[in-house]
Amino acid sequence: MAQAQANYEIQVYGADTVPANNLMVELHSNYTIDGERYAIDGVYPTNHQEHETLELTEGINAWSEVGFYVFTSEQDGHGVQWVGDHIRPRIRVPESWDWPVGVSLSTEIGFQRSAYSTDTWTWEIRPIIDKSIGRWYFAINPALERTLHGPDVNQGLGFAPSAKIGYDFTRVVSGGIEYYADYGAVSHFATTHNQQQQIFLVTDLNVSPLWEINVGIGIGATGTTDHLIVKAILGRRFDWGRHAATD
Amino acid sequence: MKISACAAIVPSLRAPAQDLAAPDYKLRIAPVTLELSPRHRVKTTAYDGQTPGPLLRLKENRQVTIEVTNQTDTSELVHWHGLFLPTDVDGALEEGTPPIGPNSTRRYTLLPSPAGFRWYHTHTMAMGDLRRAQYGGQHGFLMIEPRDDPARYDQEFFLSLHDWDGYLVASDDGAMNPSFGAATINGKVMGFGEPLRVKEGQRVLLHVLNSSPTEVHWIALAGHELRVIALDGNAVPTPQVVPMLRLAPGERVCALVEMNNPGVWVLGETRRHVQALGMGVAVEYANSGGAPQWRQAAELKWNYEQFAARDGREDPGEAAIPVPLVIESKFRGHGAMEAWTINGKSYPDSGVAPLIPGRRYRLQFINRSADDHPLHLHRHSFELRSLGGPATANQSGASTQIRGIMKDVVLVDAQTRAEVEFNADHPGATLFHCHQQNHMDLGFMMLLHYA
Repeated sequence: MAQAQANYEIQVYGADTVPANNLMVELHSNYTIDGERYAIDGVYPTNHQEHETLELTEGINAWSEVGFYVFTSEQDGHGVQWVGDHIRPRIRVPESWDWPVGVSLSTEIGFQRSAYSTDTWTWEIRPIIDKSIGRWYFAINPALERTLHGPDVNQGLGFAPSAKIGYDFTRVVSGGIEYYADYGAVSHFATTHNQQQQIFLVTDLNVSPLWEINVGIGIGATGTTDHLIVKAILGRRFDWGRHAATD
Repeated sequence: MKISACAAIVPSLRAPAQDLAAPDYKLRIAPVTLELSPRHRVKTTAYDGQTPGPLLRLKENRQVTIEVTNQTDTSELVHWHGLFLPTDVDGALEEGTPPIGPNSTRRYTLLPSPAGFRWYHTHTMAMGDLRRAQYGGQHGFLMIEPRDDPARYDQEFFLSLHDWDGYLVASDDGAMNPSFGAATINGKVMGFGEPLRVKEGQRVLLHVLNSSPTEVHWIALAGHELRVIALDGNAVPTPQVVPMLRLAPGERVCALVEMNNPGVWVLGETRRHVQALGMGVAVEYANSGGAPQWRQAAELKWNYEQFAARDGREDPGEAAIPVPLVIESKFRGHGAMEAWTINGKSYPDSGVAPLIPGRRYRLQFINRSADDHPLHLHRHSFELRSLGGPATANQSGASTQIRGIMKDVVLVDAQTRAEVEFNADHPGATLFHCHQQNHMDLGFMMLLHYA
C-alpha cells in the first residue's frame, strides 16, 4: 500500500444531506498524539501533526448537496502547509420515500500533495446507510477508493469501511464508538499489519439544530495505523434562503 | 354512495323512516382505496367507502339511532366530537365506551346537543403506524341543526382538510415527528375534485374542518374575504371579516363569503409548500372559466381574541376552581417520537382531583414544550378566558383576558399559557387530550372524573 495520511476528516457520514439553500461550515481538528515518527517514501511523519480541515457543504435540494474540502497540516519543522482539496457531491433517498433506513451515496475526488500522500489524485465512492431506533443510532459507510495518480494506480478499488454506533444519554449528549478501516485492494486485502484499523470513543453534543459538535479519542489497532489521535468537529449551518411564513 | 360524489359537496345520509325498528342512520366502516388523484391512491379505512364520510344532519335534542358496522379486522370506536353525550356513547374507550369488535355491529342512540357543526371520527390509536387511526382519514361531518336556524345563506359547503402519506422525519426539537406527502380538501388533491360551483351575489356558508392527524392549516379563498361566524360550531360573540382561517387538528370554522368577485379562484392552503402538496379546491362562478387564480398572502394572520365578547362585562357567577395542567415532553431518543406528560405523568397515570357536579372549573394549560398543542375536552364545551401568557406555574406576566368564545379544541402555543373554563354539568368520566394523534398515542391524555 502507498503511504498516505488519512486523518484529515475523521467522520462516519449519516444519510442526511444539508437542506437546500443552507451552507454547512465544518472545521475538523485532528491531532496525532502518537503516530508515525519517520518519513516514508517522502511522506512526512504524522506524529504530533495537527490537521485542520475546512469543509463547506451546500445543500442543493431536498436530496442532494456538494461538499468542498481544504486540508491543512501544522507540524514542527514544517509550519502550516496546504495539503490538498477535494470535492464531494452527494445524493440521498428522499425522506418522503419512507425507506426503513436512511440511504445516500457520495463520491469524492481530489488532490493531495505528495509530501502527505504518495497517491496524489484519488477518487472515492461511499454508500451511506444509517438508522435511528429510539436512543440508538447506527451508521455504516462501506467506501470504495481508487487511486487516479500515484503508486497505487494499478491496485484497483480499495475497501475503506467505517461505522458508528451511538446512544442518546440525553436530548443533548450522545456517546458512541466509531470504527475506521482501510483493508487495501478489494481483489487482495492487505495483511493485517498493513491494514489501517482505528476505533474512536466519541461524544456528540446536540446543542442546537444549527450546530454540530463531535469530539473523540481514537486508537490505532495495527502497526501502520497512528496509535493515538484526538479529533473534534465543530460545525455551524447557515441558512441562505429567504423564508416567509407563507412559504 | 359513490366516492366521486363527495368531492366537494358531501351528500347527506337519508333516514329510512318506514321501519320503526330500523336505525335512523347506518354507517359502515371498511377498508377502501381512495383516489386522491388519478395517479395517487391511498389504501385506508373509511366510513361508507368515502373520505370524508357521509354528512349526518341531526336535529338538536331529537333522539336518533345510528347503526355502525365494523367490517375491518380490528376494533373500532366512533367519537361524536363536540356533543354532550353519556360516556358509553361518546366514543372513547378510556371513558368506558364499548368498542365495536371486528366484523361486528353496534347501535348508538344519542340525543344530539349542542347545535352546530360537529364531526365524527375514529378514536383508535395509531402508535407508530402512520396509516392507522386519524392518519387514515376516517372521519365525517356531523351537523346538529337547531330547532330554529337563524343563519342566512344561499348555499353551504362542508370542507375537510387532511394530510396523507405520513412518514417520520428528524425535527429541530431533536425528536422524530410526522411529515406528509400529500394534502387534500375533501379527499382530493387540487385539480382532481369537483369545483365548488357558485353564482355571483350568493352568500355562501363554508363549514371547514381540520381532520389532519397532526398539522395546523391556514386556509384562504383568493379574491374574497371570509366572515367568521362560528368556531367549533359555536357562534362567536363578535363575527369578524378575516383574510384567512387557521385551524388546528380537530378545530372547525364556519365562515360566510359574499360571492362578489366573478371568476375561478383557489380556495386552499395559504402556505405554498402545503398547497403544492395538493390542499386546494377551485371555486367556480357560473359562466366563468379558465385556470383557478391564486393570490399569495404575504403573512399569516389569525387570533382567537378578535372574536371575543366586547361588552366589558365581568365574570358571571362564582369564581371557577383552578386546575393547573403543566404540559411537558419526555425525550425518548433522537430516533423516536417524544412522549408527553401532564403534571409530570403520562396516561393512564395522569389525573387531577374529581370534579364536583355543578361547579365551574378553570383549566390552566401551562405548555412548557416546544410544540403547539390542540387541546380537546370530551363531552363538554369550554370558554376561552386567557391566552398567550407565560408558561409559568403562577399567572404572572402579560396575557390576554377574553370572554364569550365557546369551543371544544383550543390551540395552545409552545411556551405559553392558556386558560379555559367549563361547567361540570355532564357527570361521568371525561377525556382530555391533545388532538395530535402522535401526542395522544404517547401519553398526552387524562381522564377527569366526577365526584
